[in-house]
Amino acid sequence: MTVPPGDRWRPRGSGPVVRPYAVTGGRTEPAHGELLDLVAVVVATGQPVTAEDRMRQTPEHRAIITLCDSYVTVADLAADTGLPVGVIRVLLADLIAHGAVSVAPKRPASQRTETDVLQEILNGLRAL
Amino acid sequence: MASAPSETAAPAARPAARSGPFSAHKILIAGGFGSGKTTLVGSISEVRPLRTEETLTTASVGLDDLSGVDGKTTTTVALDFGRITLGLNVALYLFGLPGQERFSFMWDELSYGALGAVVLADVRRLSDCFPSVNYFEALRLPFVVAINCFDTAPRYETDEVRAALDLGPGVPVVLCDARDVASVKQVLIKLVETISYSRSRT
Repeated sequence: MTVPPGDRWRPRGSGPVVRPYAVTGGRTEPAHGELLDLVAVVVATGQPVTAEDRMRQTPEHRAIITLCDSYVTVADLAADTGLPVGVIRVLLADLIAHGAVSVAPKRPASQRTETDVLQEILNGLRAL
Repeated sequence: MASAPSETAAPAARPAARSGPFSAHKILIAGGFGSGKTTLVGSISEVRPLRTEETLTTASVGLDDLSGVDGKTTTTVALDFGRITLGLNVALYLFGLPGQERFSFMWDELSYGALGAVVLADVRRLSDCFPSVNYFEALRLPFVVAINCFDTAPRYETDEVRAALDLGPGVPVVLCDARDVASVKQVLIKLVETISYSRSRT
């Protein structure tokens, strides 16, 4: 659940107004496929979804599609929306089934091997 | 790319958008309660609150008061979570492993696919990091032990800590100050070097 900017009167400590799994219709497990890793990278496909699927999309689904405009991880999505990781996984599975979001390959083409990845991380850390 | 309408409210705290694909890698920060995990993650990375709903287990009986909420089967756990963006292609994600024993059921999921781990040790309570050390040894996950040098804690040589923890030769022990970004950076560099070395031998 994203808090609208105008919603200033809810005390911070009061916790979510809606129980977490209410936004998934009570589902705690993704409908299809395997559990997405916390650092799995996803991105919006930009493909149109069917009218039926669009009807079923909640505001949370649409917020995720917007955030997936650029490549983003599951953990980032949870932090950005304030929704628990488990809820994000369920909603993402819906969007992947609709064809609205896809999981990016684990490694971009610029990184050829595991050694390359580790070297890139090392270089990046040293340059911090 | 995507044609999602831009007027849909995006959270204000949204990080800088990435234009291209990148690879995200998981590093775990472990250690006993109060060993400095939150401080370490906060000193080197962009941090944001991350919540996860976990199934309540009998491990929380007596700790989480459930009287009057018999139907409650999950509980919200807040995780230490930080991101270090390294260039355009790579990002490191740091996840704190909840130190208390009642959260140890979460370790398997958080550890899945991780590159390696940092075990933070407080020499005044060295035994607090035994569970993490045992866990990563059993998992054969590369890790380093970082002694968080609290101002009031006595100083020990790294070799003394190594002996006390009965660590194998492949596990580096380093001194660090979890509040200092340069110090934490050295710990992470040591960890990635350790990961490279262990991969090259397998």
